[in-house]
Amino acid sequence: MRTLAFTNVHRAYQRGRDVLRGVSCQLERGEVVGLLGRNGAGKTTLIRIAMGMLEAQRGEVRVLGWDPRREPLAVKRRVGYVSEEQILPEFLEVAEVIALHRQLFPDWDEALERDLRERFGIPLTSRIKTLSKGQARQVALLCAMSHRPELLLLDEPAGGLDPAARREFLETSIQLLNETGTTILFSSHYMTDVERLAGRVVMLHDGRVLIDSELDELQEKHALALVPHDAGITRARLLAVEGCLGVRERRDAWHAVFHLAPAVAHELLRAELGVAGARCQSVALEEMFIELAGGQA
Amino acid sequence: MIQETREEGRGLASPLLIVVDPHSGVPVYRQLMDQIKFLVASGVLRSGDELPSTRTLSAELGVNPMTVSKAYSYLEKEDVVERRPGRPLVVQATAGEAGLHERKRAQLRESLIPTVTMIRQLGLPADEALDILRELLTRPPDEPPAAAPSREDDA
Repeated sequence: MRTLAFTNVHRAYQRGRDVLRGVSCQLERGEVVGLLGRNGAGKTTLIRIAMGMLEAQRGEVRVLGWDPRREPLAVKRRVGYVSEEQILPEFLEVAEVIALHRQLFPDWDEALERDLRERFGIPLTSRIKTLSKGQARQVALLCAMSHRPELLLLDEPAGGLDPAARREFLETSIQLLNETGTTILFSSHYMTDVERLAGRVVMLHDGRVLIDSELDELQEKHALALVPHDAGITRARLLAVEGCLGVRERRDAWHAVFHLAPAVAHELLRAELGVAGARCQSVALEEMFIELAGGQA
Repeated sequence: MIQETREEGRGLASPLLIVVDPHSGVPVYRQLMDQIKFLVASGVLRSGDELPSTRTLSAELGVNPMTVSKAYSYLEKEDVVERRPGRPLVVQATAGEAGLHERKRAQLRESLIPTVTMIRQLGLPADEALDILRELLTRPPDEPPAAAPSREDDA
């Protein structure tokens, strides 16, 4: 059984705007998957559908085998969820918020709760509204993790945090991975965090899955080719080359992403288009993201 | 002659001899492998030295434990490290000086691959490329090339 499975998921909002137009992807137990995409690509919608907060209008969602709209309790007990926009009741004290969550989850692990509390150093008697953004996120994370969920859904969990708080968050996630092998789906705009944490990345674009790849493979078997405009090649001809995923126009050159190792892409460009002056290189995830997101027709 | 094995328990003094650069475009497991192989080939890590556990290294570097374990199993396959049941991973013994020399050669060969790719992309003939390499090698190291990740220069 897959931990999380989306099959051909569709979701539109009012006024006919499609957010998800047939998204399929699966997470196996223990996998850590980074969900990427530009603002409005549908990341939050997809995560909310997994949580049962939104319904898929077409297609199927299974969380640990359950339909989150039909078995909300079974799903919520085994899943942890943190989002950037999550709002904790601000008039309550930290201890009260934690107590509320403790009651909800039969599998609450008090030792883990204590451990995280000490690690974060959050005073129990502080009211939520007096906490910094980073502290509030840590409380949310503690509440999402202390029942040792089988699946963690994190929607921009580090959004708005300073680098130290982000690193702290990352380390806590890694600790949890080390201890329990929790499956994690997280959306993030911090590509460096994705490179550190994710084993696989799924990139949404225009409501569909544009990339679903092991991160290592994405880096080893993809290349950015810089093809000078002088070479006289058109966008259409580049896109027609096998393995070309996107082309972006820059001042002096086309930037084309290929699903090929750099050396292979270089050879192919030479052999098929007669381009000798192309530079092909592997690029960091951040560059890859910008090229792919900006290079779609 | 078998290279002398150091006293039991000696290991990578600090996992911070390894750094991860998420901007490099090189997969993290590759970065770990490359740096550990460099530490071994350059003699910083010797036969019998212990490597940190997957858990320790992943926590120290802030990377997914699966990534560390992927790097370790490839290093095992390449006979750089060996796993003994219930014990930490250790650097594999080499057959004395000759073995270490072989490791140095392997290390250099691998690190030259991107250079070779560059030479091909530039379309330079091999002879010319070799001339340049020779010239660089004979030049006094006033301005050391920024290739080897030696951190001792910082001290």
